[in-house]
Amino acid sequence: MKALVVDDSVVMRKVLIGALSRAGISDADQAADGKEAVAAVEGTQYDVILMDWNMPNMLGIDAVKAIRANGKTVPIIMCTTEAEKSRVIEALKAGANNYIIKPFEPSVIIAKIEQVLNK
Amino acid sequence: MQVEYINPFIESVCSVFSTMLNSEAKRCEVGLVRSASSPRDVTALIGLSGRVRGTVALCLPVSTALAMVNGLLGTDTRVVDDTVADGVAELVNMIAGGAKTKFSGDGTPIDLSLPTVVHGASYAVEYPSGTRWLDVSFTSSLGPFSLRVAFEKTCTPTT
Repeated sequence: MKALVVDDSVVMRKVLIGALSRAGISDADQAADGKEAVAAVEGTQYDVILMDWNMPNMLGIDAVKAIRANGKTVPIIMCTTEAEKSRVIEALKAGANNYIIKPFEPSVIIAKIEQVLNK
Repeated sequence: MQVEYINPFIESVCSVFSTMLNSEAKRCEVGLVRSASSPRDVTALIGLSGRVRGTVALCLPVSTALAMVNGLLGTDTRVVDDTVADGVAELVNMIAGGAKTKFSGDGTPIDLSLPTVVHGASYAVEYPSGTRWLDVSFTSSLGPFSLRVAFEKTCTPTT
């Protein structure tokens, strides 16, 4: 099981990697913006992606669109402070599979990952 | 800016502390400030734009900044380095993000800028002339801190 954690905050990436580890996923790559994420997905097969929204260079929502445009079906969970309903709908329409709003309990990360992996 | 508009930010601070830091933040005094005459050691700033325009500043003593980021990561960092600055930036991002949702309602979402962190022994944060900032001080098990908010309000919180 391999994950990609996409967030411009190195601290948030570490927090998310810790949560993934507790969910049984100890193999995780990191990307600091949407561009890096799109490039990483082209070269590696991931089982799940955690994607921030607000990042420099390329927003997470644009990275989701690019990943789907490239034909990749890897489950993507948005993990963001963008909590408005319209943002959630926009992300799901773009191809995200689930949505986590920051701040979050670590148990939420585990539950959401299990949801997308069991579908 | 009316005092009730600070409530979404206070609620957001408390939410971030309880969920991410396993701590409880207690609001103390709320006051108006015209300038940052005595800023804390570490200040994290983030802008809001769209239907609401403004700035949120999280002002921390070094000890509180270290305790917060060490709490997030389970580390024992003793100096303000890039990781601590990054962590403080993420915290102000989450605080502003939680509050802005209440102002957006079902309308167009308010956008957040990327956060900026200022750190040093001697600096001043200058605000636009005529701007009044609401300053809310907090206590917590991680140390004291304050949140400053100023914005041009064109809508009200939805909850």
